[in-house]
Amino acid sequence: MIVYRTLFSIKRLYSILSIIILIFGIFSCSKSPIRIVDPGQQPPPSSSDTSHRGVYVIDEGNFNWGNSSVTYIDLTDSVVSKNVFKSVNDKDLGDVAEGMKIFNGKGFIVVNNSNKIEVVSLPSFKSFTSITGFNSPRAIEFIDSSKAYVTNLYKDISIVDLKSLTITKTISVPNWTEGMVKFKHYVFVSCVGAYSLPNSQRRAKLIVIDSDLDKIVDSIASGKEPLEIVLDKREKIWVLCSGGYDQYEAPTLIRINPDLMIAEKIFTFPSINDAPSRLCINSLGDTLYFLKDGIFQMPVTSSAIPGTPFIPSNGHLFYGLGIDPVNGNIFVTDAVDFTQNGWVYRYNQLTGALLNSYAAERIPTSFCFPKQVAAGKKK
Amino acid sequence: MLFCCYTQKTAFSQKLKDTLHLPEIEVKLSYSIKNYGFKQEKIDSGLLIPHLDADLSTILSQYSPIFIKSYGNGGVATTSFRGTSANHTEIEWNGISINSPMLGQSDLSQVPVSQFDGIEILYGAAGLAKTIGAFGGVVNLVTVPEWNNRINLTLAQTVASFNTYASNANIAFGNQNIQSVTKLNYSSSANDFPFYNDQTLQREKQRNGACDIGGFTEELFLRIGRKNFLSGRAWYSQDIKDIPPVTTNQNPNYIATQKDRALRSLIEWILLNPKFAITVRSAFVDQYMNYKDTSYNDNHQYYTWINKIRFNYSGIRNLSIKPGLDLTYDWVYSDAYNGAKTRSTLGLSSEFSYDVRRNVELLLIVRQDVIDGKAVPFVPAFGVDWRPFTKVNLSLAANLSKNYRYPTLNDLYWAVSGNPDLTAETDYAGELGLTYNYNNKKGTFFIESELSGYYNKMIDLIVWIPVSGGSLWKPMNVREVVSRGLDLGLNMSCNVLGFTLSLNNNYTYCRSTYEKATSPGDASVGHQVIYVPVHLFNSTLAIKYLDFSLSYNFNYVSRRYLGTDNLSFMPGYNLSNIFLGKNIKFSNIVVSLQLQINNLFNLDYQSIASIPMPGRNYGLTIRFNFKK
Repeated sequence: MIVYRTLFSIKRLYSILSIIILIFGIFSCSKSPIRIVDPGQQPPPSSSDTSHRGVYVIDEGNFNWGNSSVTYIDLTDSVVSKNVFKSVNDKDLGDVAEGMKIFNGKGFIVVNNSNKIEVVSLPSFKSFTSITGFNSPRAIEFIDSSKAYVTNLYKDISIVDLKSLTITKTISVPNWTEGMVKFKHYVFVSCVGAYSLPNSQRRAKLIVIDSDLDKIVDSIASGKEPLEIVLDKREKIWVLCSGGYDQYEAPTLIRINPDLMIAEKIFTFPSINDAPSRLCINSLGDTLYFLKDGIFQMPVTSSAIPGTPFIPSNGHLFYGLGIDPVNGNIFVTDAVDFTQNGWVYRYNQLTGALLNSYAAERIPTSFCFPKQVAAGKKK
Repeated sequence: MLFCCYTQKTAFSQKLKDTLHLPEIEVKLSYSIKNYGFKQEKIDSGLLIPHLDADLSTILSQYSPIFIKSYGNGGVATTSFRGTSANHTEIEWNGISINSPMLGQSDLSQVPVSQFDGIEILYGAAGLAKTIGAFGGVVNLVTVPEWNNRINLTLAQTVASFNTYASNANIAFGNQNIQSVTKLNYSSSANDFPFYNDQTLQREKQRNGACDIGGFTEELFLRIGRKNFLSGRAWYSQDIKDIPPVTTNQNPNYIATQKDRALRSLIEWILLNPKFAITVRSAFVDQYMNYKDTSYNDNHQYYTWINKIRFNYSGIRNLSIKPGLDLTYDWVYSDAYNGAKTRSTLGLSSEFSYDVRRNVELLLIVRQDVIDGKAVPFVPAFGVDWRPFTKVNLSLAANLSKNYRYPTLNDLYWAVSGNPDLTAETDYAGELGLTYNYNNKKGTFFIESELSGYYNKMIDLIVWIPVSGGSLWKPMNVREVVSRGLDLGLNMSCNVLGFTLSLNNNYTYCRSTYEKATSPGDASVGHQVIYVPVHLFNSTLAIKYLDFSLSYNFNYVSRRYLGTDNLSFMPGYNLSNIFLGKNIKFSNIVVSLQLQINNLFNLDYQSIASIPMPGRNYGLTIRFNFKK
């Protein structure tokens, strides 16, 4: 009897247990992997209508979150396509995408903390290959039809062979290199110095590389943290030095004579607390733009840094800047609080009027304006 | 017994009553019924023993309503208690804060379960008598002597998946006047679990995830006469942990390691008299941390000297007065600061508890802290507890409080970024609670339930935000968050036909939302705080029969948003873990065998974006206990 009752209760216990496990099991049936869900992704428009023109916005995402993305804005009908890379390729773009450049119908997206350059076919955005083996890549510059230079945060400049899409060589440089600009067969590269050192110990300079030889041939002293570098229509090179993330010195804007390889004019910002960034130039090569809270506009012939912004920030956190090569419109991103999706604002470069705003994604950082695709080349 | 009870109880319930001990039922989780309107919960050693190889994050995520944000197996694990940030939970060891004064928080993965005997969880304002700034609450890890013990030796060895080994040795011996407790723990893991990487679209093994953890505690307890208790404790721990890369990091040269060394020592004197009691604690913490990767090699060293004096006077009928004095001195030398930084904190507090009638109690807490000579605003809290029925063990509780959290030393002094102009964060909180306990006369069935609703309005919260066009991040008093929710706890246990069944459940509903836009484009207002799940549920069913035991643990965590605009998120998930145990007894010796299966359904999940988590994994423990 006792045995029976025990068995009975074991049976009952067993059934109670199995019901509970079943309930939990039902909960547990969702076998799909638990990964980031980012609703509203869509592929870029595959319209063969070449009257449409657009811009890629590179959203760097949060450091170590792996949520970089590319937003495509159709400028003709203002339709925004979110996370085009993931929606086409069904995989994540990576961690901290910095920028994108187009060469020969392919987009090269520099994904800094994933240590790779993702190559995509345009306009489909289908992943073509990943180039790996960098040391925290920062920017890419196409030298000729056979090679590109890639600057790195930690070590060397990587030379990418554009046929095999692999790194074939490196140019040894003192750590962190950032912006690049081509002038004749030279490449001027901003070189910040050792990433791990404070600015007091970094030797900031521009290095000049002979791209025929892939060798450093000269260097020009600069202010601390030289970052973006551009070439104007008078064949002068401009480099913006932030003065240091640690506000080591007042920022400077340096004009370089690339033929003589000397700094011929240094514009110093009024305050050590100024933090100018994102030096850009329009396609005419006559006007410089940069961010310093607001958007500053400065003709290349100007004898001084403007005292007030052309477009004030009005509390927005302006983070990325680009100039439309076709019509000269100013594109700026608002990263808001860096933990939500940002915005892109488009301004008229003559009046400063806001023309449009577009919802971008997490920490929009830079723009890539494709050249108008020729008819018939579409897929 | 008296002593044990005294130290386990917090300042709120230092009435010298005996603890509830049901002869046949093991009370592993319990809510204090008499808590003057403030909620507190206790997790005792019975629940901890099967987890001797684990760390505190495992216990809290499986058995408490606190959300644990864990960066993978063995990785950094921080708390979110009632929708607050990790800075708002104070982790204490025998009443001494082990939160880093630099970060203002603790990494629970560095707290091995084997080094303490029980956990007290003080919810919300319940922590105010101990400390300021713990808006979420206080988690106090306690170690207690057993005065009747002669010798108690435990040796345990765990072998688990991914080359994980954990060894523990505890020895306690002594008599009714002196007890010595020694605890040793050592564990190592390759932690190279396989996972599917969405970036490379391949199955990979986690890289650079190994860890090596060791610890040692020595405690000496003395009972001098009937009134004096003296104790000394020292806990040394050393952790070496490689920090694995996120799934999207394709750098083959990736390397990052964190080394931590900590020595915490505490002396305590307790004097018990019929009408008054005095507790004096003095602790010294020496902690060193080194972080190293390809570009950084930073050292951080701090020393903290903590002194706490509590006086308890109950000479007036129905009234107890418990004044307290806290003196803390922090000294930090960090590669990330410009030179050494210090902080001195003086805290004056008092509790006044008053029994209005047999069934109505009031508690007033007042607290005034002075930090580096500057007074933090005055902190009051008021609680009331009412037991409307004499035969039904039901109590209703309410409390109101104000609280402040002072900036951490990193917030103030981090090179370049640190902001010396920061002010304290402020919290206005209110709480209502209901506790119902029932046990039958035979002692074969009991039920414990607790429901509380809370509301916290937190202003001037410190957030590191980008300034200077995003090139520099600085902490600022910018955020405003309202956190409101419900905690529901339900524990049941019964004995039927030789079976002991127990079921412990925690459910929390937490809406923690941003309340203030920080810029014109800010879409955060009204949205849930990132990485705070709205729903959290955990449940453990344990069955014991003779020397066999089986327990099933279930955890559900709802969606965690990844942005202040609540657009992208990590989906909710649930995990199941199973324990199977068998005790073999030979007179004074018990040998226990335990099999543990974690992530039973082999869920492929990430709790935090791009941080891989292990699939189904196993652990086998053999434990030897000798007691006399």
